[in-house]
Amino acid sequence: MKVDEIMTKKLEIISADASIYDAIERMIDKRIRSLLVKPRDEHDVNGVITVRDIVHKALGKNLDLNKTKVAEIMSKPVVCIDKGTDLEHAVNLMTKFNITRVFVNEGKEILGIISLLDVMSAALITRAREGHGA
Amino acid sequence: MLKTVFGGNTEQKVIDSIKKHMQILYSASECFKKGLQELNKDQMYCVADLEREGDSVRREIISTIYEGAFLPFLRTNICRFIEIVDEAFDVLKDAASEFENLGPKLDQEIREDCIQIADINQQMCDMLIIAFDTLFSKGDLREKTLAIRIYEKKVDDMKFDLISKLRKKEVKDFWEGKTLSDFISYLTHISDVIEDASDYLHIINLSMR
Repeated sequence: MKVDEIMTKKLEIISADASIYDAIERMIDKRIRSLLVKPRDEHDVNGVITVRDIVHKALGKNLDLNKTKVAEIMSKPVVCIDKGTDLEHAVNLMTKFNITRVFVNEGKEILGIISLLDVMSAALITRAREGHGA
Repeated sequence: MLKTVFGGNTEQKVIDSIKKHMQILYSASECFKKGLQELNKDQMYCVADLEREGDSVRREIISTIYEGAFLPFLRTNICRFIEIVDEAFDVLKDAASEFENLGPKLDQEIREDCIQIADINQQMCDMLIIAFDTLFSKGDLREKTLAIRIYEKKVDDMKFDLISKLRKKEVKDFWEGKTLSDFISYLTHISDVIEDASDYLHIINLSMR
């Protein structure tokens, strides 16, 4: 199975200059656990801010959520894989880097995201279909 | 045990008809998706045709059951299962009917999400057929119903996003807004009904033990 078959195309993007509070609001409103941080200019690259970053790097250290910018706690660059990559390779990357999601790209464009939950769901559906054709 | 419960000729006739009923639902959902992909409302007429065909198969199944197929304690649950599958036909037909009124007014961004939901609905119909087959084999029904719940959760998430998009959309008149809202409601409700049907399969499975 290829990663683009199961990726989530719902990508929420936030500016690196937005506050962490803005990021929290966006995650709660959209019921998601990560936001793609857009590059500041053409020389910059995408970043990612996750619930884990917010809990460990901001809430855990009592940072002011309104004054601290997303850029200060985000991870950069993001781990990306090509859309035609096998799912197995994506899982290996997640294990290797101890991350729960990887972005899916086509050239420079980010198309979607795969989380551990997507991998688990795909594996369970494949298992349920075993012996019953495609 | 399975042979005792399902072994007779009339029972086999009912089982074959239920499979046929679900195959028709699969075809209707495939036809619906194609109509949506091609933005072709004429294509949607096949949904109503297949729904009528499904109705006739449902009547045949219920009649055969009340002529004496299956042990009495199983009949109610099997009939309820068939009624729920029939409800899926009705909701699909309602969605197709709203689409006929909407036609090209469905904008590109919303249409892409709708096609994705229609595709998941079709996969759920397929999984329901697989789950039904599992009742008569040694397969694990629990993992098939879990797959159906995973699909339903996906549709649920997409519904949430779609509604957010719809709220930002400018609506020109009451009927355009109502038709679009009803179309999305019906489209996203199909997965709930299929999930209910799979829950009933679980009840049938338990009642056979």
